[in-house]
Amino acid sequence: MTTLRISVHRSEPDRLETFEVERDDPMMVLDLLLAIQRTHDASVGFRFSCRVAMCGTCTLRMDGRTVLACQTPVPTDTDEIRLDPVAGLPVVRDLIVDTAPFWQEWATVMPYLVPNEELTEPAVVRPDSPERQIIDPALDCIGCGACYSSCGIANSRRDFLGPAALNRAMVLIADSRDAAADERMAAIDGAMGVDGCHYMYGCTSVCPKGLDPAGAIRKLRSWRLHGRP
Amino acid sequence: MVARDMLDVDRIDTDIAVIGTGGAGLMCVLHAASADPTLDITLLSKGAVGRSGCTRMVQGGYNVVLDPADSLELHFADTLEGGKYLNNQELAWTLVSDAPRVIHELETRVGCFFDRREDGRIHQKAFAGQGFDRTVHRGDLTGIEIMGRLRDQMFRLGPRELEDVRALDLVFDDDGELAGLTGLDVRTGRFVVIRARVVVVATGGAATMYRIAAPAREKTGDGIAMCYRAGLEMRDMEMMQFHPTGLLAGNSRLTGAVLEEGLRGAGAFLLNVDGERYMSRYDAERMERSTRDVVSRASYTEIMQGRGTASGGVLIDISHLGVEEVERRFPGMVARTRQIGADLARGPVEVSPTAHFHMGGVVIDPDCQTSIGGCLVAGEDAGGTHGANRLGGNGVAESTVFGARAGDTAARIARARQLRTPDEQQVATSISRALAPLQRERGPWPFALTAELKDLMWRCCGVVRDETGLNEARTALDGLEQRLAEVSVPGPPRANFAWQEALDLENQMTVARLVVESALLRKESRGAHFRSDFPERNDDEWLRYVVLRRGRDGFDVEMRPVEFSRSELPTKVVANP
Repeated sequence: MTTLRISVHRSEPDRLETFEVERDDPMMVLDLLLAIQRTHDASVGFRFSCRVAMCGTCTLRMDGRTVLACQTPVPTDTDEIRLDPVAGLPVVRDLIVDTAPFWQEWATVMPYLVPNEELTEPAVVRPDSPERQIIDPALDCIGCGACYSSCGIANSRRDFLGPAALNRAMVLIADSRDAAADERMAAIDGAMGVDGCHYMYGCTSVCPKGLDPAGAIRKLRSWRLHGRP
Repeated sequence: MVARDMLDVDRIDTDIAVIGTGGAGLMCVLHAASADPTLDITLLSKGAVGRSGCTRMVQGGYNVVLDPADSLELHFADTLEGGKYLNNQELAWTLVSDAPRVIHELETRVGCFFDRREDGRIHQKAFAGQGFDRTVHRGDLTGIEIMGRLRDQMFRLGPRELEDVRALDLVFDDDGELAGLTGLDVRTGRFVVIRARVVVVATGGAATMYRIAAPAREKTGDGIAMCYRAGLEMRDMEMMQFHPTGLLAGNSRLTGAVLEEGLRGAGAFLLNVDGERYMSRYDAERMERSTRDVVSRASYTEIMQGRGTASGGVLIDISHLGVEEVERRFPGMVARTRQIGADLARGPVEVSPTAHFHMGGVVIDPDCQTSIGGCLVAGEDAGGTHGANRLGGNGVAESTVFGARAGDTAARIARARQLRTPDEQQVATSISRALAPLQRERGPWPFALTAELKDLMWRCCGVVRDETGLNEARTALDGLEQRLAEVSVPGPPRANFAWQEALDLENQMTVARLVVESALLRKESRGAHFRSDFPERNDDEWLRYVVLRRGRDGFDVEMRPVEFSRSELPTKVVANP
């Protein structure tokens, strides 16, 4: 059995601390952290809840790339791994960040459905309707912030709404049940909104649910120009 | 003991304090705030708001009567049959009769969008143990749609959100009236005293006390333990549901994660190590499609009798449907197995029964009221709705239906209740108890003890039980409790999850005692509770439920007859307990 050398960002004081952990199989990055906590240092700070990629709370950076710790197998091509907190959010302790700024941006786009007056019964919408073709692949966001962490704009400029919030706005604007599309189009306009995106596709490449926030932003830009569907 | 005048705590006054932000907690806030927008509502979440607990993890769906060809009476009958007639019938009726209204609300007010049929109307799929296809779903990630949309409603309503704040104890004033609760801010390590007119407990169950278990980290029975300490009655605590197909992934935390029920529905085989479809010996008619309790017991028996795999499991195999078909229908499950180096689409995968859901809990009425004025309980913390076994799809229905009811009740009674000041001695006692592991200078970390508890419960109070094993569990729990009193955790109070684990363990241990005690008392087999020394269901003696509450010296026990207030016991002979 090989020994892994895991360098973990510690915040008090700010440093990298290296732990040796026996490789196991199967082993996720979350299991590495649990092994460190249970056998080396009970005080190492990290977050998780569901461990099946549904809660979105164990987000961190492994060797620079933003991942969910619970669904990322420990790489087999190296025995040295570095773990850092997600980028762009204030660190609470070690690998734990304060996600409040992410959710503040999210709240800016009015992320909740504003039901239109006719919506008194569950809407009749065919699964192959154009609207569902747009919405369905963009649902299932778990709010993990991986896109935010990997976005060069969002994680350096506090006023950019970021990929997740813009994706949520797109989903609601496309929803025929919703009555607040105009307000949302206004909320996502400008440099803090869709114009802030430089199409680096960091968001789309790291999304653990396979969503395409960059594609959502393209749609929003196109709707601004040509009118929304 | 912390001196009373030395208490350095944050203090918050609120009208309604809601503990827990799963389906029940957030529906409660939605309903209370909608009923009376002037109410001050405070939400406590042990982890991230709306992203802790298990509603989020719901794959299957939501049972609800929508089709004119279906009926509330049929859903009710299915729920009682599933619960082996131990259900509180008023609660079960409330569940089925409120569910259509709540689904309607989720679709038209909350913003959920469930899968549609070709004609654009809501799709309902088949689920085990039901006489009609009534399960509403959003793909196989129904929980994310419900919790995501509910969480977003909080941005509209703006309750006070205490994220990463765990509740410790209910506290009372000098007259013995509920005054609020104590809490601990996990992030800062500071304590908080919340005065509230109404407290709603909705933290979720404690199935994590088993070695192989499905739930999220937060679910350590905090609500039940808190209510037990406060003197509330608990019912059906022996009724712990094991889902038949939990993934086995070695030492990985993934072990116990559920491989969904739909696999068996779609024709998956369950095989022992000899390659035999062993269900033929347990339920030849329904085979793998038998109910959760029967399949779990069969798998457990195979494993315990030496016909399991080397790592203590059995095999689920659906590869005969073909790679493409399996990938198309179960993308999430295929990904989950590939993550650990197995492949559901191409061959058998090791699984085991996994502790999943606690049917037992606090005694409530259909408005979620308890015997403590101002203390409401909703969701998995409450007992009675599901009786001895829960149907798949009735879980998220329960949390949202009763969460909504708790919100309505809270809004109705809040104004009439004064804000009371807790007895400072109770506050100090609660805080001292929580601080103890952090203040102890020497002692073991909690992790090994947690592992021992999980092993013990798995071995002695799991899928199959008997008097010897249960007595062993009872004695061993005494020993574990003594060692828990010596646990010490290092590090600062801030974001210290070793400390949190010590506090979790105390609650898990409290609930474990209740489960063991109740399991010893029920000398028959019914639903999820199987006694190898009493393998038959005994309706003559055991249409009674076990009620436990904290006594002066141990438990006060009461056996109460089930009230057949809405439905009689069917006269047909039931093959399976």
